[in-house]
This record gives sequence, C-alpha cells and structure tokens, in this order.
Amino acid sequence: MKVPPMILDLTVASSHRRPVHLWLPLFLLWPLALVLGALALVLAIVADGVLSALGRRYHHYTVLLVRSSAALGETRGMVVRFSNQKTAVDMTVQ
Amino acid sequence: MSEDRSRILDLLAGGKITAEEAERLLDALETRTSAAAEPAGPAITGDPEPLIAALPKYLYVKVLAANGDNVDVKIPIVLVRSGLKLTSLIPPLAMDKINDTMSEHGMSVDFNNFKPEDIDELIGGLRDMEVNVDAKNGDTVRVYCA
Repeated sequence: MKVPPMILDLTVASSHRRPVHLWLPLFLLWPLALVLGALALVLAIVADGVLSALGRRYHHYTVLLVRSSAALGETRGMVVRFSNQKTAVDMTVQ
Repeated sequence: MSEDRSRILDLLAGGKITAEEAERLLDALETRTSAAAEPAGPAITGDPEPLIAALPKYLYVKVLAANGDNVDVKIPIVLVRSGLKLTSLIPPLAMDKINDTMSEHGMSVDFNNFKPEDIDELIGGLRDMEVNVDAKNGDTVRVYCA
C-alpha cells in the first residue's frame, strides 16, 4: 500500500538570520484532503458521465483525478535543495 | 515465460516483495533481456533484497552554477513514472497549451504521442542514463539515477 507523504521538512538558512527549521505535519491535512478529494471525485464522475453522454472523445477526469492522487502519494523521498551565497533552502518530503 | 519472470511473480504472489518492487524487477529484467549482445544472467534465487536494493530508486539532478547558485533535486523514479503516465490523461486543450509552450522554449516534445510501452522503455533507459554537462562559464549539470 502506498502511504502519502506525512511530513514536509523545510530548512531555510540565511547569512544574516538564524536558520529556520519547519517540520510541517502533512498528515494533519489528510482528513481535509479526503473530504475535498471525495467531492472532486463525485464532480469528476458526473462530468465524465455528461461528456460521455454528449459523445465527447475526452471523458477521463475521474481517472486523471485518481492517478494524480496516486502520483502525489509517490512524492515521498523527494528532496529539493537550493543554495547561493546568501541563502540555503532544503525541502524534504517524508 | 522465463524462469526469472516466473520467480519474480512467485515472490510477488508469496508476499515477499511488493507490487512496486516486482514492477521494478520486471523492468530491470526487460532491460537486460533487450540487450541482445549480453548473455542471460542467472536465475533469481534466494533472498531478493540485495537485488531490489541494487535497483536505482531516485533520479538526481545537480546544478552547480559558477555564480554560486546550486540546485540539487532528488526525485523518486516511481514519481517520474506516474508523472509520465499522467500525460496521457491530460485534457487535449491543456495538452495543446503545454506543447505550444514547450515548443516556444525550444523543446519540441509532443506528449500526445507518449504510449504506456514508451514510458516503460523510457524509465528503463533512465536507469542507465547519465548526463554530464560542463559549460564554458563553469556551470555544471549532472543528471543520473542511483
């Protein structure tokens, strides 16, 4: 089973300020995301049904939504680091 | 069905490896068998963990600019695969805009032509790929999988 990202670890360091280390608990957003996702899913199913009934070639919003959610779950392990002479930013999805 | 493929499916059926790991192993197997010049390797026996651990899991992009700007990105390969597979589901209007914008920036990639089998081949190719760019101004770019 794929587990969605749970924590976003963000560190911002600057040459003239103290480094800021943020530990963002993404898992707290899951219930909200679940509700919004369920609403979006219903809308997508209705939209696909209407588009299909109208004979439109593209009626894949439901699949797009489901696969987008799955892709979001696969962001775990992603690391983005940026630094220059003044600032360093480090973002890790766990 | 080859012995290796059968062994991987057995491991999956036995719950010793996950579907994702099985997919990666099958990809690696296809990449190996497609290299006709190389003789087939031995059958997978024993503990599959070392073999799974040996597969690259991340795509790394490292940019070191001469002016001191450095960018270091580590992307899970499963995310790259999912992203590429999503391209086939993007609505045509949005896809046309993406293609137009990309061609304006000198990248003439038509995502409409991407097929699932092409994506698997592309991911397989990514695992063996390494890009090293050393610009005259001192900028360096490294793209590789590990």
